[in-house]
Amino acid sequence: MSMDIKKRFVFLLVAIPLLVAGCGNHEQELKKSRPQELPVAVAGVPVRTAVETGGGEVLLVPLSAIFRKGELTGIFVVGADNRLTVRWISTGRSMNNNLVVLGGLDKGEFVVGTYRSALEEGVTVIKSVTAEDQTHE
Amino acid sequence: MNEGIAGKLAKQFINSKITPLLMVAALLVGIMATFMTPREEEPQIVVPMVDLYIPYPGATPAEVESRVAKTVERTLTEIPGVDYVYSTSMPDFAVVTVRYKVGEDAEKSMVKLWSTLMKNMDKMPAGVQFPLMKKVSIDDVPVLNLTFWSKTKDPFQLRKTAVEVADELKKIKNIGDVDIKGGLKRQVKIVLDKEKLRQFNVSPLQIARQVQMANSQMTAGDFKQMNEEIIVRSGRFLESASDVGNIVVGIYGASPVYLRDVASVVDGPEEVSNYNFFGWAAAAPNGSPSGEYPAVTLTVAKRQGSDASKLADKVLARVNELKKVSIPSDVTVSETRNYGATATDKVSTLLEHLLMAVVAVTVVVGFFLGWRGALVVLASVPITFALTLLIYYLLDYSLNRVTLFALIFVTGIVVDDSIIIAENIHRHFAMKRQPKLQAAITAINEVGNPTILATFTVIAAVLPMVFVSGLMGPYMSPMPIGASLAMIFSLLVALIATPWLSFRLLKTEEGHHEEYDIAKTGYYKLFNKILSPFIESSFKRWIAFGVVGLMLVGAIALVPMKAVQMKMLPFDNKNEFQVIVDMPEGTALEQTARVTKEISAYLKTVPEVLSYQYYVGTNAPINFNGLVRHYYMRQAKNMGDIQVNLVPKDERKAQSHDIAKKVRAGVQQIARRYNANAKIVEIPPGPPVLSTLVAEIYGPSQVQQIALAKQVKKIFEETPGVVDVDWMVEDDQKVYDLVVNKERAAFRGVTAEQIAQTLRMSIAGMDVGVLHTDKELDPVTIQVRLPQSDRTSLHDLSGIFVQSQGMGTLTTRLRAGEMIPLSELVKVEEKVQEKSIYRKDLRRVVYVTADVAGATESPVYAMLNMDKQIEKLKVPGGYSVSPLYTAAPTSDDKLAMKWDGEWQITFEVFRDLGTAFAVVLVIIYLLIIGWFQSFKTPLIMMIAIPLSLVGIIPGHLLHGAFFTATSMIGMIALAGIMVRNSVLLIDFIQIRRAEGADLKQAVIESAAVRTRPIILTSGAVVIGSIVMLFDPIFQGLAISLIWGGVLSTILTLVVVPIVYYIVEKKSTKP
Repeated sequence: MSMDIKKRFVFLLVAIPLLVAGCGNHEQELKKSRPQELPVAVAGVPVRTAVETGGGEVLLVPLSAIFRKGELTGIFVVGADNRLTVRWISTGRSMNNNLVVLGGLDKGEFVVGTYRSALEEGVTVIKSVTAEDQTHE
Repeated sequence: MNEGIAGKLAKQFINSKITPLLMVAALLVGIMATFMTPREEEPQIVVPMVDLYIPYPGATPAEVESRVAKTVERTLTEIPGVDYVYSTSMPDFAVVTVRYKVGEDAEKSMVKLWSTLMKNMDKMPAGVQFPLMKKVSIDDVPVLNLTFWSKTKDPFQLRKTAVEVADELKKIKNIGDVDIKGGLKRQVKIVLDKEKLRQFNVSPLQIARQVQMANSQMTAGDFKQMNEEIIVRSGRFLESASDVGNIVVGIYGASPVYLRDVASVVDGPEEVSNYNFFGWAAAAPNGSPSGEYPAVTLTVAKRQGSDASKLADKVLARVNELKKVSIPSDVTVSETRNYGATATDKVSTLLEHLLMAVVAVTVVVGFFLGWRGALVVLASVPITFALTLLIYYLLDYSLNRVTLFALIFVTGIVVDDSIIIAENIHRHFAMKRQPKLQAAITAINEVGNPTILATFTVIAAVLPMVFVSGLMGPYMSPMPIGASLAMIFSLLVALIATPWLSFRLLKTEEGHHEEYDIAKTGYYKLFNKILSPFIESSFKRWIAFGVVGLMLVGAIALVPMKAVQMKMLPFDNKNEFQVIVDMPEGTALEQTARVTKEISAYLKTVPEVLSYQYYVGTNAPINFNGLVRHYYMRQAKNMGDIQVNLVPKDERKAQSHDIAKKVRAGVQQIARRYNANAKIVEIPPGPPVLSTLVAEIYGPSQVQQIALAKQVKKIFEETPGVVDVDWMVEDDQKVYDLVVNKERAAFRGVTAEQIAQTLRMSIAGMDVGVLHTDKELDPVTIQVRLPQSDRTSLHDLSGIFVQSQGMGTLTTRLRAGEMIPLSELVKVEEKVQEKSIYRKDLRRVVYVTADVAGATESPVYAMLNMDKQIEKLKVPGGYSVSPLYTAAPTSDDKLAMKWDGEWQITFEVFRDLGTAFAVVLVIIYLLIIGWFQSFKTPLIMMIAIPLSLVGIIPGHLLHGAFFTATSMIGMIALAGIMVRNSVLLIDFIQIRRAEGADLKQAVIESAAVRTRPIILTSGAVVIGSIVMLFDPIFQGLAISLIWGGVLSTILTLVVVPIVYYIVEKKSTKP
């Protein structure tokens, strides 16, 4: 009984690479060509700072930019190479349509201003910087 | 002709009906044992290790060190069997680790520790809480990891699924600990609302007390009435969030204040405490999703002595069944570690190698003795191994890479006895001087006794290796034990089974009936040509000795010239490695997650990487290395572990060590950008150590130690080949010290404890009980805390209130329950967190650690390089620090440094092996004296031993390999084999001389007659070792046996007869 499963596993281990090798070329190209898909245009918003009532400096991101996965809070960051990465952040209180970020982001990084479920990690985007009116320092 | 033991045995069994039965029985029990012996990849190592966690709330590291760590350490070192005592004194608590000597009984060790500790508990200062004792053993290392990941589910849901699966798996026989790494637990969160608390005049402490009191239920007793007992029970446990919300926590005006009025009660996932993700990488099967997904890892450990592969199969089968029942279809379960499979894999590869070795040896024998002779020898091997495997099973050994290698190692040696006997029978059959049966017995008589002696010399050579001590012991001891057992069995087989088989299988050639004349054989002609000139001319003789001497000196000179480097063990080719990310102390969890994620994203692009998991805020499932290095304590917010799984060995060209070397630069480039320290951690081939290179710095004060450590660290960083440099000194972490104004607090009727507890509850949260629900498998805690948004700065603390205790405290006139703002009672002082104090064996120490890769692969050479730099360092006091190698300094008055890490084990192993070698030489000498009754003859025979170096060292150069511990084993074993050759050679000379032959004639004849068995047996050793050349770890052993074997066989055949001739000629002349 247990031998049977072991055999199946071995078969699987052998079969998968074989399959990959068998129908490799065509699919491989597809996989590689994906980043060259038409770039999506997103509105990049820089992470800003604001002075809190207590006197300390805090980082702010628009409320619309964040998304939640259960208890996790995420945000899409546009990297220097214009690729999207998911960043997990921890957030504090909200300040008029903005949210205080407590950890996970740096000042000056660009985030996608409005979260859309279609966004995917690793995709190259065209970033249009929007200078929203924010609380300036 | 008088008969020896060999002849008597042979006579008994050569025609007995019982012989074939014995052979079959031996084979059968061996096969049974092979299937019943548990299989593992690594040898079983019993190193009892106990971690003691001793809380001492409020104390500084220095206080913890002097009052707790020191006292405990001192008492613990008294326990017999304790090898090392380490301690770390941190703010608020101490961790003391006791490591016993290898092989100490774990349970007894625990009892001893417990009783010693209890005896000394009265010496602990007030305020020290009861210590927590945790035994750490090899069986805590999970053998199977299943990672649950999903595109749609969140960590909370994933954990719930994993917990359900874990609960089912627990029912499987032989399963050990089942643990879950990552995910978020269910929790009832009481999120305080500062405004409302103030409004309703309720303090956090009050809430905690009310919740604790409300959460109780008790049987009050029973009533007896009308012959009946009626149970009386009172109270009710909290069963849901609404139960919690309905607790009355205070009174406002005339109406009760419910908890839900002043706080929101949320039943759901706990606050994020870890980030665990799973992702497929470059080598993933096509069609695998490319993103990374929240993951939870279920780890399964096995019970001691059970078979990992059988357990893994059972668990996987059960999980497959559960996929239909409790695992949602959008959750994928990936096998991210399966030691069962790797063990089976390793064991079957080794068994395959064993078979190849046997076949190769048989072919060689067949070449010399014909297929019938080969068959005789071939038949003797399985019987020998079957019996050895039976003993393995009876001695509770598992089939692992060391025990199996012991078998491969002896393959070439165990056939020897059979070869010698079969060959001699073959020779006597060919000579046709006697009838067949008589010829066989004569043949056995002739070589039987020297064979017994020869076997014992080989056993004498390998057996002292049992005494290799320390962590390396368990890696080494199965070799000598397995090899010695196999040798004894092979001797029995050679004396019982081989004659029986030879008598039936070997044919006396029919046809030509010419009288056997040794002078006509090719061997005789050859040796006559080679040996005669040296025997006749002393000048030629001395030239020959000179050449051999030069070769020996030249070979040895390769070591100081660094042409052949020494290293304890080379890296194995594994399917995984880890990346350990350490952010500066005081880094937020999310920042650590971000850096870890970025490094993972890089690793993802490496073509050999199959998948990865990263664990931030919780440790990755540990392996044996992590166990010794205490990686299970890596649960802080500034630590992240990445587990990198590579494609199976046979699907990639690069060795795992090369891949690790290749990615190091890329990983560290990312890490440096964030001020992080990233280390690539490979599974060590031998016993794990804190780090490959460790500099332990001792000194009079911590400040001076750290100053020196800083300089040493810099030297480490500047030395080429030294990588992954780190030290065990924490970075500065900011601390807000809220100092209680005692007068003010007293005047308002507030105690310091109240303030501390309120603060703790507000910031870290406090568990005030558990929800009593039978549906949930993980306990659901009830936690009181401020929301994250209300605890981000000092400013937030202003809104927290404590209640005055009122006049009961006798220090205030306020009424009880008055709300006092916390900010009024405390003063903020900004400080830097005090650094942990590390101690080892009763001494303060600062560790600087590093690994070696690239320019130098062997730590010894890196250490020698750095010694010069370290000696140049300026230290206060004006003396220079010269690193110590073998023992810690005797006093702490001066700064001092000791090398540790792999060096310590290398030193111990080579010391023990060296001693073993010396013992071997003495035993062999004694054995031969006993046999030949001469003090001189053994010395002649032992000439062959140093001659093996002529082959061994250049052999390593040729293969570009390190001279490792296994090379040393090969060298020692070879000593036995070479002496055996000499024994056979000289024994025959003496027989011939006793028969009246002239000395020169006897010497040449003996060389001619014994060449075939000597070449055959040495050839068998050489050929049998070739399969080992391809194993990274045992390569050294193979090189020693092959090159040492070839060279010293050739030299033995020439040098030993000549030396014997000179010595004997001198002694017979006068």
